[in-house]
Amino acid sequence: MSQPTLYADRAEWSDVVPIEQYENTTPLAPIFYKNEYKDATNYFRGIAKTGEKSQRVLELTEHLIRLNPAHYTAWQYRYETLLAIGSNFEDELRLMDELAITHLKTYQVWHHRRLLMLKICKPARELDFIARTFKVDAKNYHTWSYRQWILAYFNDNELWSGELDFVEDLLYADIRNNSAWHHRFFTVFQSGVHDGEEDRERVLKRELIYVKQSISLVPNNASAWNYLRGLLEHNSIPYSRVISFIQPYTLSMDEQTADLVDLDNPPPSKGAHLPCALAIEFLADIYEAEGGDRMLNATELWKSLGNEYDVARKKYWEYRIREGLRAIQT
Amino acid sequence: MSHETNPLLIPLHVSYIQNLGKNKNDLIYHLTAHLRMNAIYWGLTALCTMNHREALDRDEMIDYVMSCWDEETGGFGAHPDHDAHILSTLSAIQILVTQDAIGRLDIDRVVKFILSLQQPSGVFAGDSFGEIDTRFSYIAVNALSLLGRLGDLDVEKTVSYIAQCRNFDGGFGSRIGAESHAGQVFVCCAALTILDRLDEIDTPTLSWWLAERQLPNGGLNGRPEKLEDVCYSFWVLASLSMLKKVHYIDSDKLISFILSAQDPEGGGIADRPGDMPDVFHTHFGIAGLSLLGYPGLVDIDPVYCMPAALIETLGLRKGWQSLERRMR
Repeated sequence: MSQPTLYADRAEWSDVVPIEQYENTTPLAPIFYKNEYKDATNYFRGIAKTGEKSQRVLELTEHLIRLNPAHYTAWQYRYETLLAIGSNFEDELRLMDELAITHLKTYQVWHHRRLLMLKICKPARELDFIARTFKVDAKNYHTWSYRQWILAYFNDNELWSGELDFVEDLLYADIRNNSAWHHRFFTVFQSGVHDGEEDRERVLKRELIYVKQSISLVPNNASAWNYLRGLLEHNSIPYSRVISFIQPYTLSMDEQTADLVDLDNPPPSKGAHLPCALAIEFLADIYEAEGGDRMLNATELWKSLGNEYDVARKKYWEYRIREGLRAIQT
Repeated sequence: MSHETNPLLIPLHVSYIQNLGKNKNDLIYHLTAHLRMNAIYWGLTALCTMNHREALDRDEMIDYVMSCWDEETGGFGAHPDHDAHILSTLSAIQILVTQDAIGRLDIDRVVKFILSLQQPSGVFAGDSFGEIDTRFSYIAVNALSLLGRLGDLDVEKTVSYIAQCRNFDGGFGSRIGAESHAGQVFVCCAALTILDRLDEIDTPTLSWWLAERQLPNGGLNGRPEKLEDVCYSFWVLASLSMLKKVHYIDSDKLISFILSAQDPEGGGIADRPGDMPDVFHTHFGIAGLSLLGYPGLVDIDPVYCMPAALIETLGLRKGWQSLERRMR
């Protein structure tokens, strides 16, 4: 691949005074620039100093951003230039599509899109774009946060209407995707009531079935259990309400007794790793909430967790036992 | 104790940090110019924790910090030609405070810059570009606190935004509606700690969520079903420390994990065993070890991530707990 032509060697840039890196002090971190980057940043400093906002500045900032997507000043200046010269924001967005895929973990890439979206106001397209990037990285924190912003900011019922299906597709692909579980909670319970979701009893029932079925499929999935807890707490339902569902998950495969198919309480699927530590913990919380003699049952369960089923958190379980026993005594 | 067979290689890490300034890997070097101020703060604090503050030249460091002062905005950039940003402004303040050189600062102007970044919703932006994040709320609170100017802050507004970032699992995200993430949990806990508003935290639920970050290999992850990373040794541990639940973590296993991520040849600590080290993970790994009571290290304040004795002298120490320093 041929060497890119330096700005220093290009006639159309000869009117710009490039400004070298400030080197008055012996920098703590001396920098040996690669020529291309050094040249580009010299010329960037040059046009920033004169305040130039032009098409060639767009070219230069694009070049810089490609070399270093974390150069936040270049992003800022680029956005200001787009505004100043009346650029087509949709063209810019298409350019950003390319950069976003290569630099998914850079804050600036997503913030720039947000700024463009505030001008373009076509959120549906963005949701499609985001869905495509999830194929590359389904747990990207910035991307999910951006999706949540798009939905909340434009707050369009048509946008919201497709979200549940979208989340289900992602969970179908990876039932352990914590970001998707979080997004489900956000969509259903933390963003107002959307069209078609007005019957909150029906919504609650649907969510309970969904999370129970997910747990049935893959019991050792912290995200699903956190979702169940969040669901119950948000709707002020005591944990004890689901005790019949929980109990089979606290037993081993041999101890399973379910003969009848109980749609409200899907049992652990074949091949599930039992007993499930997360279920034992849940059951212990139910007993603890009951208090009195039940606290002893809780401590027994915590002991089994610390000794056998969740040894990584032995210290945590020992503290729960201590605190539980103290509660009995008072 | 197994740590004798794999100890913390302090002299090696000290020279690793010193050599960062002389690294001939040029392209990576200037590509991280936007982190330079942060990197110096990480390096300095790691040295302080290892009790080798003198390993970097104080005057040179202060000169560098001051060369990043953005006269137009009243803040600090990451590097002399970078615009002011709240991230580099905090690191600059932390460096100056640690080096006892706060007199070099135009405090009024910096305070004005920081306060100008607060949004109507109560969250802070990073700079005029407008990116918002609870990290920036913490940075603002931390910086104003170090400068003795918390009184200038609209505390209710600041706390109210953070409270709205609390999720169903007890954790906190980068903005309202965002997923719980250990790094964001740290900044929200620390901001609330400084503002004496720990009442906004569901302590039992969040403590459990934090304890759940520990994986069988002893390392900690940032959210469910993600990989372990040494930096979470600090974010998670510091949060538990503020909630006074640091004993929820298996400290022996975590110590072993952090030590196994050291580079025994060139020094420095990586995100996980076998990967290349960097100053970010070196600093947070050592900070985590300090909170875990690893012998031979200096106490670090988990709220400010600065030497504990210094924070105490400034009258800023809050009621956090760390594990007792082991003798060997």
